[in-house]
Amino acid sequence: MNFTTDSKVLIQGITEPIGATYAPLMQAYGTQIVAGISPGYGGEKHQGIPVFDMVEQALFQVGMVDTTVIFVPPYSVLDAALEAIAAGIRQIILMTEGVPPLDMVRLIRKAESTETLVVGPNSAGVIVPGEILLGTHPTDFYMPGSVGLISRSGTLTHEVALELTRAGFGQSIAVGVGGDRVVGSSFQQWLQILEEDDKTEVIVLLGGVGGDGEEVAARYIAEAIDKPVIAYIAGRNAPKEFLGYTEAIAGFQLSNTRIGDADSKIAAFIQAQVPVADRPSQIPALVKQALQTSAIA
Amino acid sequence: MDLLEYQAKELFNEMGIPVLPSQRIDHPKDLKGLKIPYPVVLKSQVYTGGRGKAGGIRFVANTIDAVAAAQAIFNLPIVGQYPEVLLAEAKYESDRELYLAIAISQSTRRPVLLGSQVGGIDLESVIQQMQQVVVDQEFSLFYARRLALKMGLTGQLIESVSQLLEKMYRLFVQNDLDLVEINPLAVSPAGELMALDGKIIVNDAALGRHADLAALQPKTIGHQNRVTIAASSGLHLLELEGVIATLCSGMGLALATLDLVTAAGGKVANLLNVGDESQFNALASSLPERVAQGLELMLQGRGIKAVLINVLTNTISCRQIATVVANYVERRAYGHSVPPMVVRLVGKELEQAREILAAVDVPLVQSLDEAIAQVVLLSQSRT
Repeated sequence: MNFTTDSKVLIQGITEPIGATYAPLMQAYGTQIVAGISPGYGGEKHQGIPVFDMVEQALFQVGMVDTTVIFVPPYSVLDAALEAIAAGIRQIILMTEGVPPLDMVRLIRKAESTETLVVGPNSAGVIVPGEILLGTHPTDFYMPGSVGLISRSGTLTHEVALELTRAGFGQSIAVGVGGDRVVGSSFQQWLQILEEDDKTEVIVLLGGVGGDGEEVAARYIAEAIDKPVIAYIAGRNAPKEFLGYTEAIAGFQLSNTRIGDADSKIAAFIQAQVPVADRPSQIPALVKQALQTSAIA
Repeated sequence: MDLLEYQAKELFNEMGIPVLPSQRIDHPKDLKGLKIPYPVVLKSQVYTGGRGKAGGIRFVANTIDAVAAAQAIFNLPIVGQYPEVLLAEAKYESDRELYLAIAISQSTRRPVLLGSQVGGIDLESVIQQMQQVVVDQEFSLFYARRLALKMGLTGQLIESVSQLLEKMYRLFVQNDLDLVEINPLAVSPAGELMALDGKIIVNDAALGRHADLAALQPKTIGHQNRVTIAASSGLHLLELEGVIATLCSGMGLALATLDLVTAAGGKVANLLNVGDESQFNALASSLPERVAQGLELMLQGRGIKAVLINVLTNTISCRQIATVVANYVERRAYGHSVPPMVVRLVGKELEQAREILAAVDVPLVQSLDEAIAQVVLLSQSRT
């Protein structure tokens, strides 16, 4: 993982409305955006950023980049990401919502074989407060510190970051792993990254309903994570239609128990001895406790 | 998007998955032209399960019985749904019944093949016997054989079930399905396979590249309800049975807000997610418009006693959101009474937003907990 002020960044889809909106915001935060990609716009400049038709042309001009942030339409995401991997880029952040799951299956197979980190789709991206913004996080809500945030939902991440910042707890890194059904990197991958990150002292994991990612993450925390983790699950009162039929079948199958609703996720975290916050505003107090306990130990 | 059984079976047939001779019945009188020999099964075509137990599946031996049964089934709601179409199908004698499905596992982020020795309507026993194989690389037939063996199949069935799974897999990938399920899969005394019932769920995000499947979307009958209007405007509306209309930016925040209102003793009437500023399919600058549309939609609901607006913004200023809310209150105040509102905003130009809202007597609250406490109190104090 390399998300620092020195990281060089590419924006694929820089002429798309959302790419055009966020590229300058990232740049203003200090992110080194060295080039944009938009087929047909090669040779132009966007907010001072040179635009190329293809990733390989851009890299020929500006040298290797660390990360690409992709803002292309849903059905073009797979192609754009494969293009980036083919050009040697190993950190990919997918902002777009609604990428078909089977496209993600193909992309994840490729990413695994090339050791590429894929964040998203339908993600707010990554922010290392005070250093780099790779996505759409409202930077005012964040400040540098030692809390690592991993989340499925963009605005919920911002909400919790705001609570933490107001209580004086800055963040080491915040990542939106993505709200789509199939996302590139799992909670476990990010737990491992934050476990190894020197600045992170405590990890906050924000989950939701549907899928079995939180249950798997809870087991992983019990086995492999030494830093304190705090969880929050949104959707305790979500009606059952939020859990799809396929999840129900696959969930039953995986553990012979209900999987995917808030109760099963909360139970999994409690079993892993991970404190679960009742509400976002309770998270700073739990963070404080966790930091005190780990200081004594 | 769910497909009806007869639509799923048309796709099965095109893929070479064996299905019984069948005929679509749009009206009881269609049975006079039935080409399948009696006895036949008449099946209600609705999107819900439990048709058999509800009386939506009937065996008939002749035209007179068939017309009477069809009339009964057309008038039989199943979980509130009336069928528009029935399926008439040949009757089949099976020796045993299996369960097969393909879905995507969210944690492994791969397709999974699912299979059970026990097929049929008793889902509990299906699940108890369920086996799975994750397709972690490109599909090849051995994945299917692995499942067949795990299911405990022997002899000829290993190959025949594997080949069927391969066809299901091809269907799954070619059509961007979330689920393809055959339950029950009948095995005849001679070892032949027959898909007696099938379920297909198409991935909604992929519908745009499958015009043929998109055309199967149910046509809205009569006037649209609020949920369908919300969906067509790119908004997500969830109807509940409470008194507080709730509008939020982003699904995670919306669900958290629902939990907080409920925990505080409030009851949410409807939960509207207007999305945030980073949605690909909606311009960031359209957030104020989405809030305006959302307010109109939400307040068409009945029995609403209070309104909560919870929006976090980044590039859009709080002033713009406050202006939308104030405009709404002013416009509505002429004709109808507006339920009391609590607006929770965080973002830029907060002071201007506060002034704009104060002019129409709407409080702006910054803390989420405080906004929840206020709106719950308002919803309870009005009788």
